[in-house]
Amino acid sequence: MSIVVRLDHLTKQYLKAPRPAVSNMSFEIPEGAVFGLLGPNGAGKSTTVMMLCGLMRPDSGTVSVLGLDMQEHGAEVRKKIGVAPQEIALFPTLTAHENLVYFGRMYGLKKDEIKRQIEKYLSVFNLREKAHKQVGTFSGGMKKRLNLIAALLHQPRLVILDEPTAGVDVQSRNMILDFLTDLKAEGTSIIYSSHVLEEAERICTHLGIIDEGTVLQTGTRGHVMAQHPDCQNLEQLFLKLTGKNIRD
Amino acid sequence: MKILSTLYKEFLLLARDPGGMALIFIMPLALVVVMALVQDAPFRDYQEIKLEVLFVDADADSLSAKIKQAFAASPNVSLVMEKDSIVAKKRVQAGDFKAAIIIPQNTSAALRNKTRQLITTVFADFGLPAQADSTPLPGVDLKILFDPAIKANYKQSLSGAVEKIIANVQTAWVLDELQSQLGEGKPAPPKRDFKLTEIVRVSTQYASENKFQGLMLNSVQHNVPAWTMFAMFFILYPLAGNFIKEREEGSMLRLRLISGSQFPVIAGKFSFYFLVCLTQFVMMIAVGIFVMPWLGLSKLALGGDALNIFITACAVAMAATGYGVLIGVYFKTAQQALSFGSVSVVILSAIGGVWVPVYVMPEILQSLSRFSPMSWGLESFNDLFLRQASIGVILPNVLKLVAFALVTLLASVVIHKSRTVV
Ligand SMILES: Nc1ncnc2c1ncn2[C@@H]1O[C@H](COP(=O)(O)OP(=O)(O)O)[C@@H](O)[C@H]1O
Ligand SMILES: [Mg+2]
Repeated sequence: MSIVVRLDHLTKQYLKAPRPAVSNMSFEIPEGAVFGLLGPNGAGKSTTVMMLCGLMRPDSGTVSVLGLDMQEHGAEVRKKIGVAPQEIALFPTLTAHENLVYFGRMYGLKKDEIKRQIEKYLSVFNLREKAHKQVGTFSGGMKKRLNLIAALLHQPRLVILDEPTAGVDVQSRNMILDFLTDLKAEGTSIIYSSHVLEEAERICTHLGIIDEGTVLQTGTRGHVMAQHPDCQNLEQLFLKLTGKNIRD
Repeated sequence: MKILSTLYKEFLLLARDPGGMALIFIMPLALVVVMALVQDAPFRDYQEIKLEVLFVDADADSLSAKIKQAFAASPNVSLVMEKDSIVAKKRVQAGDFKAAIIIPQNTSAALRNKTRQLITTVFADFGLPAQADSTPLPGVDLKILFDPAIKANYKQSLSGAVEKIIANVQTAWVLDELQSQLGEGKPAPPKRDFKLTEIVRVSTQYASENKFQGLMLNSVQHNVPAWTMFAMFFILYPLAGNFIKEREEGSMLRLRLISGSQFPVIAGKFSFYFLVCLTQFVMMIAVGIFVMPWLGLSKLALGGDALNIFITACAVAMAATGYGVLIGVYFKTAQQALSFGSVSVVILSAIGGVWVPVYVMPEILQSLSRFSPMSWGLESFNDLFLRQASIGVILPNVLKLVAFALVTLLASVVIHKSRTVV
């Protein structure tokens, strides 16, 4: 099995930050995996994701995605990966349909392909009826689903989702998780950042548990669980690794 | 095509932004109409106004007749007859009239007598048959009353004109008197009209490049291009505002996630606002042509060279859009961008001669105005509208505008790139 993502001693410190957001982080993700990037708030998940898609430059270390170094081939790689950032990245005064058409255009997709993809995903995520309503009027869950569709239009080989279920109702979350299971079945690799451990238990094949910018444990889910036979489930393991202190 | 899609997206965004639409299309209309109306009077003051002057003719003789006749022929002054000098004074004091000319009783007679006495004295000095007469003659006071608020140059030219008419009358009478005294006792020679004023004529005209004459910078002619310039530069408000909103709302992040090149995104935005600027231009010109006359103002004259006007409008639109993009890219928050942006446009417009024409500004500001892109545009439009300038005349300003556009865009791209990857 080939490797879709390789992080090698990645470090990033924000200007004026007291400590690095990501510190000497290394892990690999094999093709076809659903990789759960798990960590409490402020662990460095979003920072890692931004470096993964080449929009943030690491202070040191390298990121390679689909076999290409992101520093040099970022634009090329971005055409093949789909990213749903943690914050909603949509035009609020455009309708759902207009947003997707525009993004499809910017991906360089053909007209009929855009049409086909939009129809498909609007049904999958139950947004058909709201397709011609402005996104600004959507609920949080609807925005999150649309945000996810925007990352999928061009049928990427690797999908990176930064907390796609945060602030979403149970129905929406269930819909998203079901979809990701199907997507995995089609062979798409998925990076899934979250701090909701039941979700991770439900869909992830591989885990990377991080805190304070460093990797605490990584590998297949079975491998990670096997390291800690005293833990019954992922939540116990997570608390054991990251401690019980409350995070901001 | 990505640029076209972006252009359409920008169109949708603006069309759904009532505030932005109002700023782009309603505000300039209101501004240009209000300013043209407000400045109509001051502009008339600068030039074409017809000064109404009260005329009190207690003399009712040849001199006052001459003065009346002379002013009747003048395009700048019209006399309004008034019998009572006290009433005249009151009306000028009240500001109803800018000036009053009061010709007292017997002015003509006094002038005539004085002339006769002069000639007689000269004849006597030369030993010719004449009776020297040195009895002092009573003087008469011809009065011109001015409203204290009158412009100094009006005051000068009005009194200058009256003095000149008196001098002319006196000269004519001197000649008359000479003829009649020399001809005493002889059969009278035919009276001659010497038409002195026809020897040296002073004619005035506006120095202008070509035969096209008679168009002056009036309120409409100044305000329409001036506020068009302002409106075009003010699109930075919705332009930069949208830009920052997209950054804050994350849609810009989405676009960065989609592709490597931000060129179509910026180019589409630029093209759209460029077209908005041209639309504004057409709209404002239409107001100048169709609405201004309807408000009782003069109609905007375009000169006639449509191609040159189009070229200039494009150059201004490029410069304005480039500036807006730069402001949107440079500033981090909408608050900063919009306050800096609008203040800078107001300042650039003030020194650029939008509020009042550059030529009535203090010297120091006049030299500053050379640095305002709005003055480059305004100068070009004045050249085209008033003087039908050739492309050669407007080219330097057009090139400056294009260069400004290129520099701002280049800077925008560099800054935007530097912030794309943190
Ligand atoms: N733009 C930023 N400037 C400074 N510090 C930041 C910035 N973004 C995140 N951080 C800090 O970096 C750390 C990691 O943040 P982040 O990657 O967002 O964590 P997560 O996504 O896991 O919640 C946190 O301590 C956060 O406060
Ligand atoms: Mg995060």
